[in-house]
Amino acid sequence: MLIDFINNYLMNGIVLGCIYALGAIGITLLFGILRFSHFAHGDMMTLGAYLGLAGVWITGQPVWIVLPIAMAATAGVAVGIDRAFYHPLRNAPTIVAVIASFGVALMIRSAIQVIFGVEIRSYARGFERPILLFDAVRILPRHVWIIGLTVVLVVGLQLFLKMTRLGKAMRAVSDNPSLARVTGINTRAVVIATWLIGGALAAAGGVFLGLDTQLDTNLGWNLVLPMFAAAVLGGIGQPVGAVLGGLVVGIAEELATYPFFGGQALLSPAYKSAVAFAILILMLIIRPTGILKGRVF
Amino acid sequence: MISDANLGLIMYAIALMNIGAIYAILSLGLNLQWGVAGLFNAGIAGFFAVGAYTSAILTAPDSPDFLGGFELPIPLGWVGAMIVSGALALVIGAATIRLRSDYLAIGTIGIAEILRLFLKNEEWLTNGVRGITTVPRPFQFDQPLLSELSFLGMTLTLLLIAYVAIERSVNSPWGRMMRAIRDNEVAAAAMGKHVERRRLEAFVLGSMLMGLGGALMSQYFRFIGPEATEPFQITFLVWVMLIAGGAGNNRGAILGAFLIWAIWSMTELVTRQLPPDWAVRAGYLRIFLVGLLLQVVLQRFARGLLPERIRQRIRP
Amino acid sequence: MSLLLEARELVGGYGGTDILNGVSLSLSREEIVVIVGPNGAGKSTAMKALFGLVTVRSGTVWLDGLDVTNAAPETLVKRGMAYVPQEANVFTTMTVEENLDMGAYTRRSGIQAAKDRVYTLLPALKAKRRQPAGELSGGQRQMVAIGRALMVDPKLLMLDEPSAGLSPKVLDEILDAILAINRSGVGVLMVEQNAKAALSMAHRGYVLQGGKNRFEGPGPALLANREIAELFLGG
Repeated sequence: MLIDFINNYLMNGIVLGCIYALGAIGITLLFGILRFSHFAHGDMMTLGAYLGLAGVWITGQPVWIVLPIAMAATAGVAVGIDRAFYHPLRNAPTIVAVIASFGVALMIRSAIQVIFGVEIRSYARGFERPILLFDAVRILPRHVWIIGLTVVLVVGLQLFLKMTRLGKAMRAVSDNPSLARVTGINTRAVVIATWLIGGALAAAGGVFLGLDTQLDTNLGWNLVLPMFAAAVLGGIGQPVGAVLGGLVVGIAEELATYPFFGGQALLSPAYKSAVAFAILILMLIIRPTGILKGRVF
Repeated sequence: MISDANLGLIMYAIALMNIGAIYAILSLGLNLQWGVAGLFNAGIAGFFAVGAYTSAILTAPDSPDFLGGFELPIPLGWVGAMIVSGALALVIGAATIRLRSDYLAIGTIGIAEILRLFLKNEEWLTNGVRGITTVPRPFQFDQPLLSELSFLGMTLTLLLIAYVAIERSVNSPWGRMMRAIRDNEVAAAAMGKHVERRRLEAFVLGSMLMGLGGALMSQYFRFIGPEATEPFQITFLVWVMLIAGGAGNNRGAILGAFLIWAIWSMTELVTRQLPPDWAVRAGYLRIFLVGLLLQVVLQRFARGLLPERIRQRIRP
Repeated sequence: MSLLLEARELVGGYGGTDILNGVSLSLSREEIVVIVGPNGAGKSTAMKALFGLVTVRSGTVWLDGLDVTNAAPETLVKRGMAYVPQEANVFTTMTVEENLDMGAYTRRSGIQAAKDRVYTLLPALKAKRRQPAGELSGGQRQMVAIGRALMVDPKLLMLDEPSAGLSPKVLDEILDAILAINRSGVGVLMVEQNAKAALSMAHRGYVLQGGKNRFEGPGPALLANREIAELFLGG
């Protein structure tokens, strides 16, 4: 019973949570530094997933090998998108950039649809034999990879933000942009770094999801709601909060479908994303600063 | 006598006008929310779909496939659509309107996404993915031309009523206060609770118009299915219409709706000529180009074709 | 005595309305100069105009003989000008040491030496260096803000109302620190509401009114002027 719970629900929740976390970090950093909700972030994840697919097709290598290339390429595209579509709006009210991000979301998605078509795809993946832990807990190798690589990326980001000059400057701009300007911090470099990080992590999340399930062109858009819920839950501007928020939302979504009372699922799996929405609305009402005291506008 | 080719062309033009007029009602609703009150609604499709389904269920004949059999008169379908959309807006607005506009955007996306799931999955209510195919349409005659024309008369009348009502309220003390709130957040904050209420009113009224638009669209096509909640068809097109036409200006909202709809559906005539495989891709290319059009408008013509008229401000 | 900073007939403001209608001032590297005046006289705006935060429509600012009118803050920091805003002048989520690191963002070397110098001038900071600046008291925050500005080894330090919201005892500590900074070879320009305390320690002062120079002279002399005392300084 408990083992079934861990194998079929908790593990999936953690994996999903890792994927949400990777997207939510970008959302929260962008919100903190550029002060706008980037609604194209989900589609940036789709882009990363499909760039990974293209990499697999071209090189014939497994997707793990191609992952860094997909991350780098998506990061580059993210900087280009900022340059072309968000940078020109920087003197307008930030909500204009939010509107623009909707357009960008559709542009990314339709570009993928034009190039790759709308058929459901997958990375070539053989049958995976689960790894057995303590004679009871079964865990799929790809889940080990996803969780492990997420931990590496998150720890790496945290070190970057705490130890490096540019990372600290990112935190400074997020903390107090006018003081950062007065201090002589080069905001342009900070903005570029933010897009590079956000784009790279989004690509990783997209590839992980494509690997765990399948690739379709709506993959990322369907993540927008849970990722924003995660970012708000964790506290806007707080990458660690975004990770916690992502895990909470991912696990909550999976657990909500667990038959806690008798044989019936607590919530029909079709309504999983309603869980994220409920968390989001609840947080906005009772504690808009999030778990880790983020910013509220 | 009108030749067949000419008749086809005329029918096409009237259909264009009919759908354009329904989009204009949606665009007016968004203008009330965004143009006048500065409220960001990213879930237009949700309010639209709720209105469409409500009116369909209230007016459709009995069917084993979905909840129905009320067979209410069509105008009551409109009223029901507006009430349910408005109530939905009240709930979501009450939770998020006091926060920064981004949060309202997230909240409205959430509502639209959950409705998408709901309408697809609750088959007893909506017939699931197959949708409701027996939505009654008013003014049905033997002559298709006459049916189309009288439907157009109806939509244009409703559009006119909506336009006059909004113009009046925008120029009333209520509307002046709304714009003051939008333009000066400091003063708005000083007015406190009062402001939240006014903004909520604008949000609810705008969403009611979106519900009406949904009801009309379902009647025009005699069909409503869950794909109506896809973010592109409704939410995004309406945003492009309002921004291109001129946010803050009701005439701009209407002009933008007709213009963008005309461009959108006429480009379809072009892509339809392509071989099937290319036609699908070209369809997505059209979406890409609309996205690009929005970016160009935002960057170069931020105030739209008919900019908001700057009214004389009273100086202290 | 060569002039470090000279501003002549500055006119400018936010958007369409001018707040400055002809402000002139100068300062040498050995000096502490104070700008005082009634509310709305344009004191803070004048300082922001010097630092490129308010657009100067006419008039000129020279730093070390170089025309820096309307230069970006980033450029001015590199040229040796540092500015401490009145409010929100520390990065609250970052530690004291990280605040100092940010102050040194524009420089590539000598950061440790600059930090040591700040800790010598503002010894209270050293013990707190691992604490988030948001957790500190008002006076300590002001020291962090000043320390952050000193990290570029500025020739000119500009302070906007450093005494705002501080108790008299803490104010004395801050003013002592400013004197020490000045003696170490940094020109200091201050905007102050607390005119008495500021003028008594300043070499020279300017009294602004309506965005224009009204009086200027040595600090003690301005303090002694009855007209100034009655008009602007509330006795």
